[in-house]
Amino acid sequence: MRHYEVMVILDPELDERTIAPSLDTFLSVIKKDGGSVEKVDIWGRRRLSFEINKKPEGIYAVIDISAEPASVIELDRQLNLNESVLRTKVLRPVPKKAKAKKSEAKAAAKAAAKKALA
Amino acid sequence: MAKPPIRKPKKKSNPLKTSKIEAIDYKDTALLRKFISDRGKIRARRVTGVSTQQQREIAKAVKNAREMALLPYTSTAR
Repeated sequence: MRHYEVMVILDPELDERTIAPSLDTFLSVIKKDGGSVEKVDIWGRRRLSFEINKKPEGIYAVIDISAEPASVIELDRQLNLNESVLRTKVLRPVPKKAKAKKSEAKAAAKAAAKKALA
Repeated sequence: MAKPPIRKPKKKSNPLKTSKIEAIDYKDTALLRKFISDRGKIRARRVTGVSTQQQREIAKAVKNAREMALLPYTSTAR
């Protein structure tokens, strides 16, 4: 199981009330394969920095998922097949703790080296 | 002959360290906008004053944000 973050830009002509259910139908792929959807954050309508498919706006949604890689690939494929999805992005967020630990370990190593020299 | 004075470049304070930001996220456009010029280009490290690793993260985040139309590739403002 891995943690993923999926960002989707949807067609602005969709009704904002229908978005949560339609995302749910997409996410059934994840649930079927034993993954879990942790968070669905619908940002709502937002101006795009540039036009995508001649549309100046888009409806943004960010979804946090923990699932197997194969099922996330399948989700991305199905999203891209859908006409009302303008763009998707799948990322694996860098865990904050691991990073903090790394810099801590580095600092500790530095301190140890200093001690050895002294 | 007078020697030209050697000017030491003033070291920039790291803006991320002073504002205590650890994570750089492509969704945080308000933060990323500080690191791009008004034409939309990524500012150089000697301008931003962040560390090499942070600059790399910033560049990656800006590029991800551009793909999702959160930041412009170019701005027409001239």
